[in-house]
Amino acid sequence: MTRLTDLPPAQAQRLAELECPDFATRPWVTGPALSRRRVAIVSSAGLVVRGDNPFRGRDADYRVIPADTKPEDLLISHISINFDRTGFQEDWNVVFPLDRLRELAAEGVIGSVARIHYSFMGATDPVQMEPNARELAGRLKQDRVDAVILSPV
Amino acid sequence: MSALGHYLEEEGIATVAISLIRPQTKNTKPPRALWVPFELGRPFGPPGDPPFQRRVLLAALRLLERAKGPVIIEDFPDDDPRAKPDPGWRPPAVPAASADGSAEALGARLESEIPLLQAAHERWLARHGRSAIGLSALAIEDCGRYVADWLRGRAPASPREGFSAPLMLRFAVDDLKAYYLEAGAGVGNPSSRQLGDWFWNETAAGAAIHALRTACLASDDERLKLIAGNFMVPAARVRSAS
Repeated sequence: MTRLTDLPPAQAQRLAELECPDFATRPWVTGPALSRRRVAIVSSAGLVVRGDNPFRGRDADYRVIPADTKPEDLLISHISINFDRTGFQEDWNVVFPLDRLRELAAEGVIGSVARIHYSFMGATDPVQMEPNARELAGRLKQDRVDAVILSPV
Repeated sequence: MSALGHYLEEEGIATVAISLIRPQTKNTKPPRALWVPFELGRPFGPPGDPPFQRRVLLAALRLLERAKGPVIIEDFPDDDPRAKPDPGWRPPAVPAASADGSAEALGARLESEIPLLQAAHERWLARHGRSAIGLSALAIEDCGRYVADWLRGRAPASPREGFSAPLMLRFAVDDLKAYYLEAGAGVGNPSSRQLGDWFWNETAAGAAIHALRTACLASDDERLKLIAGNFMVPAARVRSAS
């Protein structure tokens, strides 16, 4: 187990006090039962499909991860080195639980799995990501996605 | 992550976030979040444990069915069983450090150490069927040579069009770490801390990256200083002397 108290004090303090956007609204979207939802993963791990353009710094855009991407072709290009990567190296579901989503869809627990998933680079200031996040919502709707699981690192 | 949830939800898409840093999530007030008591980098917990990962995922997805909100922040109750050290794990053998700590000697040690771990890395590949090496798109021996040449002060040109030399240095360092950590876990189930202790304290690669960080921090190149200072040695592994 690792909680903030297990990190070097300076890092723990920096993470705990990281400036977060102060939102004036409290959005809340409801929907059908889970068994009818179409679910996409949106990660902030700086994930990139092998051969695609890796994140180079605090980029504000996102990368596309088609659902037929093979586990051996997904890489982490996040600029931070202060998180564990060995879990992801062994099993991509630790960060990108696509196999688990497929199982839940096969069992009828969720309705279906999106055709495309996405990743941002989480060290980027969220305010910079906002236009891309709003544009991404349109792409998700085109794929009939009505539930997103947000996966950080 | 929680901020992304806010934007997507405002655009009409329901979201649930995994939270690794509870104070951040509390400040951002996302529509729905599940805090998990796992190590940074492991939002769904232990590798190779589908039932556990499924419980985390379902606990998060079930929050989408709640009628009352926002804001929902729930806590996942169980710790990652793979965070515990594996007492039986033994890292692959690497040559002991030599008395000659010069950049030239360290570079040579790094280059000769890489092929010694090839069998261990093949065991990893046979076991897990995947590798996270690849950001630099260089063969691992070429990553080693590129890093060693930087250490020797040769400031080598970028081997890849469209990627600056300091960026390629970062990617080559990332790939070296991935190679070693995979080779280190070719057998057994070591915790990330066990693997990190071995890599940073016992291998020539760990020593070379420490030394390279120190050398780059003394450079006049601001971008190189930035990369060396922030993106080579994890904060928890930086030595006070380096």
